[in-house]
Amino acid sequence: MNFQLTEEQRLIEQSAHDFAKEYLDPVVEQLDHTGDFPKAIIKELANHDFLGLHLPADVGGAGAGFVSYVAVIESLSRSCAAVASIMNNQAMVSYAIQHWGTEAQKKQYVQALVKGETIGAFAIYEHGPTPGIGPDALAATKRDGGYVLKGTKAYVRNAGEAGVYVAFAITDSAEPNALTAFVVDAKATGLKVGPKLNTMGLRGCPVAHVTFDNVSVPETAVLGAVKSGREIATRVLTLASVAEAAQTVGIGQAALEHAALYAKQRVQFGKPVATLQAVQTLLAEAATDCYLARLGLRSAAQLIEDAKPFETEAAIVKSFLARLGSKILVDTCQVEGGMGYSEAMPLPRLFRDIAGTTLLDAPADFPDYAIAASIA
Amino acid sequence: MPKCLVCYKWTLDEKDIKIKPEDLSLDTSRAKGKISDFDRNAIEEATRIVEQHGGTVHALTYGTSAVSESLKDVLSRGPETIYWISDNSAETADACVTANVLAAAVRKLESYDLILCGEGSSDLFNQQTAARLAALLGLPCITYVEKLSVEGDTVRATRKLADCTEVATVKGPVVLSVLGTINKPRIPSLKQVLGAAKKPKKEIKIADLGLNAEQLHPKSIHKTVKGFVAKRKTIIYREANAAANVGKLTSSLAAEGLL
Repeated sequence: MNFQLTEEQRLIEQSAHDFAKEYLDPVVEQLDHTGDFPKAIIKELANHDFLGLHLPADVGGAGAGFVSYVAVIESLSRSCAAVASIMNNQAMVSYAIQHWGTEAQKKQYVQALVKGETIGAFAIYEHGPTPGIGPDALAATKRDGGYVLKGTKAYVRNAGEAGVYVAFAITDSAEPNALTAFVVDAKATGLKVGPKLNTMGLRGCPVAHVTFDNVSVPETAVLGAVKSGREIATRVLTLASVAEAAQTVGIGQAALEHAALYAKQRVQFGKPVATLQAVQTLLAEAATDCYLARLGLRSAAQLIEDAKPFETEAAIVKSFLARLGSKILVDTCQVEGGMGYSEAMPLPRLFRDIAGTTLLDAPADFPDYAIAASIA
Repeated sequence: MPKCLVCYKWTLDEKDIKIKPEDLSLDTSRAKGKISDFDRNAIEEATRIVEQHGGTVHALTYGTSAVSESLKDVLSRGPETIYWISDNSAETADACVTANVLAAAVRKLESYDLILCGEGSSDLFNQQTAARLAALLGLPCITYVEKLSVEGDTVRATRKLADCTEVATVKGPVVLSVLGTINKPRIPSLKQVLGAAKKPKKEIKIADLGLNAEQLHPKSIHKTVKGFVAKRKTIIYREANAAANVGKLTSSLAAEGLL
């Protein structure tokens, strides 16, 4: 067993680290302040092959594995988790179309997604308790050799910037659990993106509700088989939960490094606070949390890369990181005291980005059901 | 079309080196390796020349066993073939030994139009390797290069000196040492990183270079290396009036001859 990255994985991680230093560090505060979508940066991500990292070479991808993917997400998140989140959501769409799409769907969208010419959005959540249930659940009605989509998708990331949506709808109201995935062009008549939500964290990664007001799509817009959407969504969201855990580790690591630097510079009682035992305990706990979280994360990623069952491990990682992420931020903020609480420092942004990463998708305790189900 | 060779050094990343407070010795146990900073510029410049004019870029390095960690990193940045010499002698090699080894290796390889080095290494910054290498190979040497162009067999280099810039033009094979300002090294794309594994990596054994013991014996030896920690005076002026504080600060700086 080897817990270290391979040489290629290490170099890919280094490339992501260098990319983050050059392209993300200079703009991260501005991005957090304005919430503007970083188009030029997304294009640069594509130029460096990050958007096609997980896809095979024949569609323009780099063909690197999932361990490399999470290493990249962690490295980008250390500088700007919002950009990492945009990339994750882009990957969810390109992965779904590449795996379940028809040749025509792949041809139309996958290469454009890899090149950053099109942004993708994964539209699964609704205002109801679960997709398919609720007054505005997205429903697809068969009509004129195609489908008409009506309903609203909630909290869709990359909404408004996306050129293509993978949206999940019920095709039979008697079967609300049987979702069908559709590939919907953003220009489709009746597709309306609501106002961008003023989110707490991950600012720059747009979030909005998307209304489908009698959007007509051809039968060829169905992704995979009719009523197979639940399996597609589960698979993609489980993969995404591991990537989001990488986002959390990256944010935590950034907080730790900043707090350690601060502790070495801040002098109290005649010496740097880094020499005080209480501060050392906080830093040591945060470092331990990041280290162990990264091990779990990479272990789950390796299972995915080896095409082995990974669902339980992904749930464990998500659950663990959802709790740990906030703890790391509290600990590191404590190290910096009142100064760390100030918006002049990066910790408040990192705090909000942790919240955006761990709270926006399924609730943090949701994976516990999957873990418990696997052991009892 | 120019045939370029880039000589580079694999050094420890200084940001990972810690200074032990008890004796100021360096703790390098957790330091990772990196391509020496200016050598990265040399690789980038050679790659840009070949992208513009065609030709080839090869890379050459001499180091301890750790140098094997550098090969894919370098190849991902443009060179199509890498030659590497790994030997324990590199542990104590000075610029003289390094130049002897590199020159002997270059003589075994094909002839190159441009041999590029970084102006100085990130660790020792002796600024001697390029000049010594050129002398051993009997080639002209242009140092402190901050701008470079190639037209046919003519190389035109702008040198950044202490108080002026100088343009040097030379025909034929030449050794150049470049500054960090000459370019901005690229961040390799993932395809370039993964493609590096397929490029040729050729090891040259030091025993095959025909060097004698004298040529591998360093003329200068580092017995100890100690870190430098700046001691701050931590003076705080606490006058209520900002102008008075500034006055005290400037007086203090003037008293120390800094103004």
